Amino acid sequence: MATNRDDFTIAIRSALLQKGAKQRYSLFFFICISILVFFLDSFQSKTMTSAKSLLNDGVYRISSVATSPFKFVFFIGNLSKKHFLTYNENKILKAELAKFRAKDFQNDFLKSQNRNLQEILKSSIAGDEEGVMAKVLLDKESPFLKSIIVNKGSKSKIKKGMPVVSSTYLVGRVVEVNYLSSRVLLLNDLNSRIPVEFGDRVVQSIMTGEGTSKPRLKFLPENFEALEGETIFTSGKDGVLKPGIPIGRIELFKNEPSVKLFSDPNQLSVVNIILSNFIQKNKL
Amino acid sequence: MALIYRNFRISLGNAGPILLLYFLSITEIDTEFSKTFDILSFNLQLIVIYYWALKNPDILGNSHIFFAGIINDLIMALPMGTSAMSYLIVAFVASYIRNVTVNNSLMTDWFTFLIAIFFSNLTYLILISNFSDYGLSYINLFYNSFFTFLFYPLFWLIFNIYKALIMVKIND
Repeated sequence: MATNRDDFTIAIRSALLQKGAKQRYSLFFFICISILVFFLDSFQSKTMTSAKSLLNDGVYRISSVATSPFKFVFFIGNLSKKHFLTYNENKILKAELAKFRAKDFQNDFLKSQNRNLQEILKSSIAGDEEGVMAKVLLDKESPFLKSIIVNKGSKSKIKKGMPVVSSTYLVGRVVEVNYLSSRVLLLNDLNSRIPVEFGDRVVQSIMTGEGTSKPRLKFLPENFEALEGETIFTSGKDGVLKPGIPIGRIELFKNEPSVKLFSDPNQLSVVNIILSNFIQKNKL
Repeated sequence: MALIYRNFRISLGNAGPILLLYFLSITEIDTEFSKTFDILSFNLQLIVIYYWALKNPDILGNSHIFFAGIINDLIMALPMGTSAMSYLIVAFVASYIRNVTVNNSLMTDWFTFLIAIFFSNLTYLILISNFSDYGLSYINLFYNSFFTFLFYPLFWLIFNIYKALIMVKIND
């Protein structure tokens, strides 16, 4: 029995301390280094944060360059696929355009009516927000984190919490800012929580990411039955995101409301980061 | 000249697993297929590390495993050292198995790989849930581990062929 225990200890010790012919350091050494790095990173000291920010910028750029040939191959593949689908798409688009033109008049009318009503309420009408166009550097899929890395950072006045849109649709918000790059947490990430509102009754809810392509609506009123197809907007209740940014439409799955996002989080190539001063406005 | 060319070919063959490991860590190319099939994702890095740490530890050095882990953490926005630790645990289990076993077959490799995945993901889970603000989907982690385990024999076969090829070159 004692011999067995000795064998086990020897094997463990040997596995930890053994160095191969071409190896300078043992596994034990690197495990210790990993623990040290982990705790230094967890404490988030100023030096470590700046060092990590620098490392991030470097690694993201290298990663972007290393991925570019594969991106190009995918791009060519998609381009040729799109080319064959253009004819049918054109037909559909023409029909949709006619429909939208008809809606446009109605929209103009509603806009002016809305402006008049806001003037009556003496509320300020938000103008076009200043935004920074950013290219998606990396879109690495992870089973745990749904995020993208964009090529704009604190140099372009990007700050944590800023909303990120694609066309005019919300896709996420900035969660990490480096000097030349930032990380955007997508709406479908497990950690994403966005206060939203929808419908004629202006129902308030929290849209939570599930790690899948369709986020869920939570904290709905009791016995509430959602209607499929209703448009979801940000409510701005968190004081971080501006109200009224369109997000998606309600879809029902087994009577549970989920959100079909307007902007596919897997197909982002260029996004717009809104240099929103909504937080400051709210503070005032 | 022929000798230089031969050495170059051997070096290139030996560098294959390291390049693959760095490639998987640094590029956008990965083994996450949730876009096409909701639950399908597996961790090829773990397979690469386990196989080569078990069969030929000199090809995949500890330092490379460590740095690949750090790069992976930076790209995935995980706390630095998490993946590195998890990869090193896999290398440690492989090293232990190499010390205590004589004959390695696919079945022994495959089932001992389960122990490596278990300890590696346990470390990962403990670090993420206790020292970071990230929410973890246990079911996703389970699927990821399951498919990593399931696909091991396929990559074992591929790496065995590769190993045989580079061995031939060394013995040429």
